[in-house]
Amino acid sequence: MSEAGADRRGAGGTVFLRFLARPEAPALIFLVVLVAAFTLANERFLQVGNLESILTSVAVLGVIALAVNQVILCGEIDISTGSMLGLCAVTSGAVATSAGGLFLPLLAGVAVGALAGAVNGLLVTLGRIPSIIVTLGMLYALRGVILLVTGGTWITGIPNDTRVLGTGRVLGLGYPVIVLLLLFVVMEIVSRHSTWGRNVFAVGGNRRAARFAGLPIDRVRFLAFVLVGVFVGIASVVYLGRAGSVQTNTGAGLELQVVAAVVIGGTSISGGRGSSLAALTGAVLIGVILNGLVLLGVPGIWQDAVLGGLILLAVTTDVVRRRLVGDRA
Amino acid sequence: MREPGETHAGGAAAVPFFRLDGVTKRFGGVVAVEDVVFDLWPGEVHALVGENGAGKSTLMKIVDGLYGPDEGMLEVGGEAVSFSSPREAEAAGIAMIPQELDLFPELSVAENLFVGRKRPRTRWGGLDWEAMQGEARTRLDALGVDLDATSTVKRLSAANQQIVAIARALVGEARAVIMDEPTSSLTEREASQLFGIIEDLTAEGVGVVYISHRLEEVFEISDRITVLRDGHHIETASASDLDVENLVRLMVGRPLHELFTRSASSPGEVALEVRGLTRDGEFEDVSFTLRRGEILGLAGLVGAGRTELAQSVFGIRPAESGEILVGGQEVRVRSPQGAMEKGIFYVPEERRSQGLVLPFSIKNNITLSILERISRFGFLPRSERQTAEGFAKELSIRGAKLSDPVGRLSGGNQQKVVVAKALAREPGVLLLDEPTRGVDVGAKSEIYRLMDDLAKEGKAILLISSELEEVLSMADRVLVMREGCISGEFGGGEATQENVMTAATGGRSGADGPGEKVSGNE
Repeated sequence: MSEAGADRRGAGGTVFLRFLARPEAPALIFLVVLVAAFTLANERFLQVGNLESILTSVAVLGVIALAVNQVILCGEIDISTGSMLGLCAVTSGAVATSAGGLFLPLLAGVAVGALAGAVNGLLVTLGRIPSIIVTLGMLYALRGVILLVTGGTWITGIPNDTRVLGTGRVLGLGYPVIVLLLLFVVMEIVSRHSTWGRNVFAVGGNRRAARFAGLPIDRVRFLAFVLVGVFVGIASVVYLGRAGSVQTNTGAGLELQVVAAVVIGGTSISGGRGSSLAALTGAVLIGVILNGLVLLGVPGIWQDAVLGGLILLAVTTDVVRRRLVGDRA
Repeated sequence: MREPGETHAGGAAAVPFFRLDGVTKRFGGVVAVEDVVFDLWPGEVHALVGENGAGKSTLMKIVDGLYGPDEGMLEVGGEAVSFSSPREAEAAGIAMIPQELDLFPELSVAENLFVGRKRPRTRWGGLDWEAMQGEARTRLDALGVDLDATSTVKRLSAANQQIVAIARALVGEARAVIMDEPTSSLTEREASQLFGIIEDLTAEGVGVVYISHRLEEVFEISDRITVLRDGHHIETASASDLDVENLVRLMVGRPLHELFTRSASSPGEVALEVRGLTRDGEFEDVSFTLRRGEILGLAGLVGAGRTELAQSVFGIRPAESGEILVGGQEVRVRSPQGAMEKGIFYVPEERRSQGLVLPFSIKNNITLSILERISRFGFLPRSERQTAEGFAKELSIRGAKLSDPVGRLSGGNQQKVVVAKALAREPGVLLLDEPTRGVDVGAKSEIYRLMDDLAKEGKAILLISSELEEVLSMADRVLVMREGCISGEFGGGEATQENVMTAATGGRSGADGPGEKVSGNE
C-alpha cells in the first residue's frame, strides 16, 4: 500500500489509529467479525479445507478485482470484464483443445484480453468517451463476439495439462490461491514502488493537478485498462481449469461482482484512494459471505439481497468516514 | 463623509442594520477569522479591506448565512439572528453579490432576477412572463440602465452583468448589499457607472459593504473602512481619517518596502520569446520577451487573458498561431510535458484544484513532476525522500511532516509545496500565476524573497498578479493585458499605479467590450 492512500500517520497517532485510517480497515474488521460469527455458528467454517475452498472460489473474481482496482483508482471504471472473461476463456479453451499445454492457451487468453483492454483504453483516452459508456458497450459487444465465434456451442474436453492452473496443487495450496496471492503481492509492489502505481493515485486524486504536473494521464489510464485485460486473460485459464468447459454465458454478471469487491474492500469509487489489499479483502469478503450462507443453510435466493446490502453498507461507511474526518482526503 | 449613526435618507436609525460581534470561524485547525467586530448602518458604504486570505470573504459569508460562526453573534436590527442559508439572510434583507457572479448565463435577464423567488403567475398557473419582464424593466430603469430584459445574460458585458446582479438583490428587497470585488473585471468608465448606482442605493437608505483591492476606489466611495489582517480586526475608521499609505500599512502590518524583497537585477540573454501568439476568444497577437534573471510582471483585470496566455505557453491550451522561442530556438509546445522538457513550468493560480493532489503526502506532491525522471526501470528510488526533504528545507515548508497529507499545511506552506514541485524540475522559465493568493503576510514575504533568489540564480520569471503593489514592487518590467491583447509595457521607472491601471482598463475612454463570461476564466 502506498502512502498515496492518504494514511494519516504520525501526529500522535497510535498504530491502531493508523490502521483505522487505511482504506481497507472497515472491510478487514468486518471480515474478522464475520469469520468469528460464522465459526461460532458452525465450527466447520474455520477448517483449513473450507478456508482454502473459499479462496479458491474467489480466485477468478479476486485476480480481476486487483486489476479493476487500478482502473477505479484512476477515477475510471471497467464493467466489461464479465464478457471479456468469456471471450478470453473461449480463446484459451479453443487453443487448449487443439494445442494443449499451459503456455499457449495462457498466451492466447492474455493476448485477447490485452487487446480488448487496449480498445477500452483507447476509446476512453483518445476518444474522450466516459469509461462507463465505453465498457458498457464492450460488455455487450464482446458477448456478441463470443456468440458469433462459438455459434452458441460449448467448448468442452479441456486437456488436463491446461487445467493444471485450476486443479493443480503445490506446497499444500491450490494453484488458483497461489495465482491470486502472487498477483496480489505484485500489485502491492507496483502500487507502492513504481512510477505508474504512484501516477494512478495522482490521476485519480486530482486529474487536473496531475496534468499540470506533466503526468502522462492518458498513458496511465490506458495501461490500467490493458492491465485489466491481461489479468482477465490469466483468470480465464484459472477458470478453464476449474470449470473444464466454456459456455457462451461464461462470466456473465461477473463484471459487477468485481466492482462490488473493489468498493466493498474500501477503494473509493471516485478514485485516488484505496489499495490492492482493499480489492483482495473485498473479494474474500464476498466469498466468505456466500460460503457462510451456505454453511448456515440460508437459501441461495438470499445471496443477491445480502451482497446488495453489503455494497450499500460499504459506500455508506465511506461517506460517514469522510464526514467524520472532515475532508475529502 | 458621514459619521455612523448619523441620520440618513432612510430615516433615523438608533441601531446598525446588522452587526457582527466577536465572531470567530475556524476551518479544521485553521482560524479564518477571530473575534471580529463589524457593523453596517443604513445608507452608508462600509469598505472591508485586507490582503488575500485576510478573512473578508469568510466574514461576509457569515453575514450571508453560508457559514455559521463558531463563536460570537450576528445581530440584525438589534436582534440576534442565526441564518442557516443565504435564503434566510435574504429574507432578513441581506444580499451578497459574490466576485464570481452567481447568475445563470443561459437564462434571460428577467429570469435571472426571479430565480429562487416567488414568480408572478397567470390565471392558469403558468408563469406570467409579461409581468416578470415588466417588473425587471422597472428594476433596471430604477438603476438608470437601459438593458433588454429578454436578452440572455451571457451576452451582456461584465459591467451589465454586475448591474443585473444588483437588480436581483433589489428584487429581494435587500436593505444591505455586500459587493465582493465588484470592479475586478470592469473598465474605469464602467466602474464609475457602478459608483453612481451605489450612491443612489445609499440615498435610499440601503447599506453597502464594499470589498475591494483597489484602494483609490475605496476612498472614493466609502464612508467608513474596516481593515482585516490574518483573520483579525485591525481597525475601523472614517475614510476621511485615513490615507492610502496608512491603509496599506494597516493591511500589511508593516511598511510596504519591508514586505517585498527585490535586489537590483541585470537581466541576461533572452530565455523566452513569444511572437504573435493567438488563441481565438482568449488572447490575440501577444508578443513579449523574458530574459534570464528578470521578473516580468503581467498585470490586467480578471478575464483579460493572462492565465490563458500563460497556460498556452505551458502547452495546456495550445495557441492557434504564433511562435514560442526558448533560448532563441522555436519550439512547439503541445502539452505540459513538452513545455517542461523545454524548461518551462507553470504554477497555477488555483492551488487546491490545479496545484495539489490533496490526498497525497507533502513528499509525494513535491516529487510529482519528477517521478519519471528519477525512476529506474519504472520503479521509484529511495532517494525520492531526500529530494523532497531538500526542497522542504530550502523553501522552509513548515507545519507538518513530509509524510502527512498536504492538506494539513496552511495556505502559504501549501503554496510553497506547489512551487517546490515546479523547482524540482529545474525550469529555466517559471510562469507564476497569482503566487501569493490566499497566503498570509509572513508566507508572502517568504515567497517574494524566494522569487528574488530565483531571479538572482538566473531563472526567468513571469509574474501574473492582480495585486498592483506586488507587480510594481517585484517586477523589473510590467506588461499589461486588456481584453486579450497587450495594452501596455512599462520599464522599471515608468510603471506606476496610474499607468498600469489606465492600460488595464482602457482609461476613461475605455470601450465596453462584450464580456462573454459570467464568471472567471475556468
